[in-house]
Amino acid sequence: MKALCWMGSSKVEVHNVSDPTILNPHDAIIKVTRTAICGSDLHLYDGFIPTMEEGDILGHEFMGIVEETGKSVPNLKRGDRVVVPFTIACGNCEFCKKKIWSACDNTNPNAHLMEAAYGYSGSGLFGYSHMMGGYAGGQAQYVRVPFANVGPLKIESDLPDEKVLFLSDIFPTGYMAAENAQIQKNDTVAVWGCGPVGQFAIASAFMLGAARVIAIDRLPERLELARSIGAITVDYSEEDVSVLTALKDLTGGIGPDCCIDAVGLEAHSAQLQGIYDKVKTALMLETDRSSVLRQAIQSVRKGGTVSIPGVYGGLLDKVPFGAAFGKGITMKMGQTNMHNYMEPLLERIERGQIDPSYIISHRITLEQAPDMYKVWRDKKERVTKIVIDPWE
Amino acid sequence: MSKALNEKPNAEPLPAAASAGVILNGRYLPPPEDKDGMIWVRTSALIHASAEDLYNMWRDVEGAPLWQEQIERVTRTGETTSHWVMRPANDDDKDKHRDNTIEWDCEILKDEPGRRIAWKSIGGESENAGEVVFEPAPGGRGTMVTVLQEFRMGKLASAWETIVGRNPKQAVVENLRHFKALAETGEIPRTQGQPHGPRGVIAGMKKSIYGEETVTPPGLNRKAS
Repeated sequence: MKALCWMGSSKVEVHNVSDPTILNPHDAIIKVTRTAICGSDLHLYDGFIPTMEEGDILGHEFMGIVEETGKSVPNLKRGDRVVVPFTIACGNCEFCKKKIWSACDNTNPNAHLMEAAYGYSGSGLFGYSHMMGGYAGGQAQYVRVPFANVGPLKIESDLPDEKVLFLSDIFPTGYMAAENAQIQKNDTVAVWGCGPVGQFAIASAFMLGAARVIAIDRLPERLELARSIGAITVDYSEEDVSVLTALKDLTGGIGPDCCIDAVGLEAHSAQLQGIYDKVKTALMLETDRSSVLRQAIQSVRKGGTVSIPGVYGGLLDKVPFGAAFGKGITMKMGQTNMHNYMEPLLERIERGQIDPSYIISHRITLEQAPDMYKVWRDKKERVTKIVIDPWE
Repeated sequence: MSKALNEKPNAEPLPAAASAGVILNGRYLPPPEDKDGMIWVRTSALIHASAEDLYNMWRDVEGAPLWQEQIERVTRTGETTSHWVMRPANDDDKDKHRDNTIEWDCEILKDEPGRRIAWKSIGGESENAGEVVFEPAPGGRGTMVTVLQEFRMGKLASAWETIVGRNPKQAVVENLRHFKALAETGEIPRTQGQPHGPRGVIAGMKKSIYGEETVTPPGLNRKAS
C-alpha cells in the first residue's frame, strides 16, 4: 500500500510499504477513505517531538471501511464505516474505567519510554512517535486499529466522510477544551489559536453557554472563520494591539472567565519573549515555546480557568506561576478522552447543530501531501485544514 | 480535637507486615539494594481482576511463555518444580542467538493460593529467586500485584543485557506489564509486524534503545476476569 512516512525533520515522503495485518485478537484493519493532517502533525514535521524515527507512518485523524477484524471484535464486521479515535484505549484498566481513556494503561508497548519522561505512560497514539507507542498511522491506504472493540465509532447514516472525519480528533479535542474551561452560562471565553482545534473550541464554547468568545490569531483566513461562527477577533500581529489590553477592554477590565490555549508548544509571539523562546529552544535550554500559555495565565480573571488543548512536550521556561497562584486560577489540560465525546458529538452533527467540514480549505491526494505539509507549516495558500483521499 | 483527627472512617486497618516488603507496621519499606553481585527488582501493578484469577494465571508455570519475555518453554517436572528454557531472541532473526539458550530448574517454596507464590532456582545456568504477592488494593480497586525478584549476575544477566538490550531489571518490570495487559484485556499490546517505510541507520539503532527488538510475548485471549 501507499503510506506517508516521516523521514526526518521537515521531510515526509510517500512510500510503498507492506499492508498491515491483524496482530492481536482485538485488531481491525481499516481501509482508509479519508484522513487529515493535524496541527499537531506539524510538531512532528518540525522535529519537536522526540522518538520519531525514519520510516514511521504518520497520521492520527482518519476514517474508513472495516476490511478485516480479529477474532475478538464482535462490534464490527467487514464493510462497516467507522471513525477511529486517535487515542488507543483498552476499556478495561483503572483509567478506562474512570473514563480517562487517554491515560489507558494497556496500549503503549513502549510505556517505559514515556515513564522515563513523564513518570507514567499515557495511552498509545497512532502515528505519533515511539514514546507514544510507535503505532503506524493512518495517512495511508490501510491502517491497523488495535482495540477496535473499544474505539471506532460506527457511522450508520449517510453523512459524507467530510462531516464526520473530525470526530477522530479535533472536534472532540476542541469540545473537551471548552468543557475543561469549566464554562458557566454567559461566561466570556478567550481562545488563543484559531486553527481547527481553536475553531471547534469556539463553537463548543457557544454550545456550552458562553455569551462572548474572543478569538486571537494573526492569520486573516482563520480570523474570518472565527467571526463566521460568532467570535470577536483580535489580531495580535497588528501594531498597537496588546492582547492583554484587548482582553481587558472586551471584559470591562476583569479579564475572561476562561482562557483556552489552542496553540501549544510552538507558539509565535511578536514580542521580545518570542525571540527569547526561539533562542532558548534552539539552544535546547527549553523544549517548548510558551508565550501563549504565559499570556493566558496573565489574562484570565481572578479565580478563572485556563484550559490547554494545545500540545506541550517537555520543559517550559518563565511560566508565571505567581500570577496563577495569586489569582487562584484552575488549569486543566491533557490529551483528549476521545471515547467520551465521539457519540454525543456525532449526534450534534446528525441534528445539524454543526457541520465540522466548514474548516476544510484543501482536498488533496497522498502524493500531494509532502508538499502540503510545507504549505500547512508555512500557513500559505490560506490553508485552514487539509483532507487527504489516499485512493485518488 | 485529637480524637477527631483519629477518626478515619474510610481508612483500612494498618497492615502489620506485607508482602514482598512494601509496608511494615504502617511504614513504607524501600526496595532492597543491589550488592555482592545480587540484583534486586521490586515492581508492582494495579490490576482489575480478582486475586484468585491472577494467582491462577501466575501459578500456571507452563503458561509463562505467553507473557514472559524470552522464555521459550516451561515444563512442569513435579508438583512444585519446573524446567525453564530461555532464549534471548530479537525481532529480526529468531535463530541468530540459538547458542545462547539458558536453562534452569525452579522450585516453588511457598504457595498460598490467591495470595502468594515464592520460588527459587535449584540448578542450571541461572541463579534467581522471586516472590509475587496478590492483595486487594485499598478501597477494593482491583488487586495489587507486587513482584520481588533477585538475580545473581551471571550468564543470564549478561546475555540479556548484551544481546537483547533489555537489562534483567527492566525485563521484570516489562513482564509484569505484559501480565497485567493480558489479564485485563486478553492481549499484550504490540507493534512488531506492522508496516513502516525504509528505516535509516539511526532508526535501526534506536530500535534496540527503545526495547523494540525484544520479541513481545504472544499473549492470547484468556482474560483473568
